[in-house]
Amino acid sequence: MNCQETRRHWDLFYDSEGDAELHFQLNEHLENCVECAEWFDKQSRLESLIEERLGHETSAQAVTHVDWANVLINAGVTPVTKSRSWLFFSSGILALAASLLVVFGLYGLRFGSDGAPSLSHLSAEVHQHVAAGSLRPEFESQSDVEVDEYLLNRVSFPVRCPPRKDSGFAVSGAGFCELSDQPAAYVVGTVDRHPVSIFVLPKESLEAFPRQRSELRSEPLTGCREGDTEMVFSIIDKNIVLVAGNVGREKLTRVLKSYGTYPHTL
Amino acid sequence: MTQTDRQRAERFVAYLDPIQHQLTVYCSRALNRSDETADVLQSAVANAFRDFDKYSEGTNFRAWMFRYVTLETLNRNRAARRSPSKLEEQELPETGTLDITSFRLETLLDDPEAVLDHCDGVVAESIGQLTEQERRILLLRAVGDFKYREIAEIMDIPMGTVMGLLSRARTQLRSQLRDYARQHGLLSKGDSA
Repeated sequence: MNCQETRRHWDLFYDSEGDAELHFQLNEHLENCVECAEWFDKQSRLESLIEERLGHETSAQAVTHVDWANVLINAGVTPVTKSRSWLFFSSGILALAASLLVVFGLYGLRFGSDGAPSLSHLSAEVHQHVAAGSLRPEFESQSDVEVDEYLLNRVSFPVRCPPRKDSGFAVSGAGFCELSDQPAAYVVGTVDRHPVSIFVLPKESLEAFPRQRSELRSEPLTGCREGDTEMVFSIIDKNIVLVAGNVGREKLTRVLKSYGTYPHTL
Repeated sequence: MTQTDRQRAERFVAYLDPIQHQLTVYCSRALNRSDETADVLQSAVANAFRDFDKYSEGTNFRAWMFRYVTLETLNRNRAARRSPSKLEEQELPETGTLDITSFRLETLLDDPEAVLDHCDGVVAESIGQLTEQERRILLLRAVGDFKYREIAEIMDIPMGTVMGLLSRARTQLRSQLRDYARQHGLLSKGDSA
């Protein structure tokens, strides 16, 4: 990591955000670069002083202790009590949430042999559940336009259906999930009547998947196999795009490449 | 109010007490008119208490409560229509973060206390110049000490937006401090910062 890259990550360093590997790389650079270490110290000092001042109450806004219990009681504010039907409804929701937690909890436990989260493992799991019908996408439609509209503005990164004519991909729905805490969108459908899923994540998510990051560094279009699921993935503009399915790799590559022909702005 | 309601109120207040200071400062800084703080805070607390049954024991009460204060301050600022144009979604830079290195703030960085001691009120004034979203994100981070993910949940926006707007807010705040310091002779004449 060079000085410019290091300094660009100051926010994440100061806020203790980002993954452990990023912090390791930053610390490694700071240990060997006096200028950057000094720069980081100065930035952090200024920011903590600003925060300190923002956190202080001024005399005009001095915090007076409020006896909230009395305020609430005197104002006659009472919590909204849940009705019996609501209890039935919420228990249904809880049951659904629990089953989703089990499903997604399982995904969270999938790691590569090096102990790091594996994008291919996690994507294959989701794909297999979707293909088996045990996980239904949030939105189901066979219209590319409707799926595009559904995806629009629901995530911070651009996601679209690949052009059907070029890719041979017939869309059937779309949804959102988290892969090792990274937000992801997926588009599901078929190629030659075989289930295929397209996963799209912001490029920055690659930091959470060191194995795939390293693979993509050496090969811009990478393929692998997880059980019965073939997959190919690549970085396309601002995204990581992974296509998983139970068809040959060349067909998945066709989907991936045609996805890349789409403009990122609507 | 029944005995059960009273017990519930006391339980709610037990959660609320430790964060009352943070909530008040956040509320005051987030409002366009800080003299409305007590009123807005009271409304937010009352709303949260009404929904207290929805709060799940053991989850993050602080984030849950900040969400109510955030909504209430946002509604109050909107109602006042003092800065309607600032409520629009901001276009983010391509990388999601702004380059803070583009500002050369050497003098401010070398002795920030000297500058900040002279412009304590300017910090509060400067955050009022930020957009609604930027201001809230900066305050949730600086006053609430929330993680990016928590801020995203409180404000119901993507985490990438939080990162981008926080970086932009910090850069703008520093830029305003630098301008103020320069105008008041706190930075040397030749300083390009």
